[in-house]
Amino acid sequence: MSIDLTGIGQNRLFLVLSSAERLKQNNLSIIRTLTGQGYRVVVITSNHPSAVLKKLYAAEGIEMGRVSFIDTITKYAMGRVPEGQEDCRFISSPSNLTDLGIAITEVLNTLSGEKACLLFDSISTLLIYIPSTNISKFIHFITSKLRLVDTSGIFLAVEKGLDPLLLTQLTTYVDGTIDMDLSPQAEEGQKG
Amino acid sequence: MESVNPVTVEREGGSSDPSGEALPGATHQIWILGLLGAICIALEIGVHLFLRTAIGYTHIFYVLLVLAGVWYYQKALVVAAALVAATFLTSGIVGDFTWATLLRAAMFLVVTWIVAKISEERDRAKAEILDQKAAIEEKHSALVGYLAEVALRMKNPIHLLRDNMAAIRLQLESEDPDLEAVKMDLSVQITHADQIMANFRELNQAIVEERDEIPLAYRDFLTR
Repeated sequence: MSIDLTGIGQNRLFLVLSSAERLKQNNLSIIRTLTGQGYRVVVITSNHPSAVLKKLYAAEGIEMGRVSFIDTITKYAMGRVPEGQEDCRFISSPSNLTDLGIAITEVLNTLSGEKACLLFDSISTLLIYIPSTNISKFIHFITSKLRLVDTSGIFLAVEKGLDPLLLTQLTTYVDGTIDMDLSPQAEEGQKG
Repeated sequence: MESVNPVTVEREGGSSDPSGEALPGATHQIWILGLLGAICIALEIGVHLFLRTAIGYTHIFYVLLVLAGVWYYQKALVVAAALVAATFLTSGIVGDFTWATLLRAAMFLVVTWIVAKISEERDRAKAEILDQKAAIEEKHSALVGYLAEVALRMKNPIHLLRDNMAAIRLQLESEDPDLEAVKMDLSVQITHADQIMANFRELNQAIVEERDEIPLAYRDFLTR
């Protein structure tokens, strides 16, 4: 599946809705599209360990030099940081929004001047660890920060995983919403 | 001060003025009572003092006393006492102070006290009903919030967890599964499941603390 991210060029922010079963696949599609457009992508992961995503991306031929990670779940789930992950930033817990905010700020500072995009995977998983009101505030903080530094951002969420109030709030923070399951386009054409 | 029959409030779902009667505001009430008071004093002077007639005109006084009792409860006794004093004074001047004068004065006070008491009781009951209604609405709102939060922080995450587990199984079924990656992914999913259970306990705790009617044994069970 190819994603219409034409607005990314104007430093736009998107809320990308996906079905739960296709979340990982859509993550991959977004990464492929962004790296293909020459973006440096910062993946904030709370659903899968960064090590697993790295292997997945590498297996799919993604240029890994363009992808970096802020991993909120590995250290919390496994109690340690796996070896060979020195290029990742690990957060102690997905609910530690202070550390996550600091890590995002630091990463964005290092990427200033570069064509970068932040991929947040996913809001739905973060909801396991944080009440919806705090999520909304945090996403507002991130989107404001991204606008200030002129960086693009994509927030992945499970389409039926957000209540109407939270969805409305998130929609107001971003420039556009993409429903991955409503806009299927043949990816193969682009790949080929 | 509104005058609303609480039975009507209950039957009609508690609208602010279910009886449909237009009730005067505090300023209008003062003006109405002042005007009626002036009329009563004028009658007392005109009819009793000058025409020397002590019967009939005092019926008008009850309009003032009833309205004062409905709107200002026991404070209306001050108005009744003032009318009693005016009656006694004119009776003294005219010289027709009899047992009928005393009975009339007593009726002013008794009728005023009864109307005041009934009005006070009725408005207290109405306030109680409105409070109960507000409490029910608050609980209903909390219940809707609880259900929304349950869906947001449990039902949908469990769906996500299920799909992640299905993906892990697919990975295991592949020809050359990366067991290290599978182990890591499983650890993450277990952590998600732990957190979902913690969320459930936390939400139950919040509900249990709100509801006094839940027996102790069930409180313990729900928050275990």
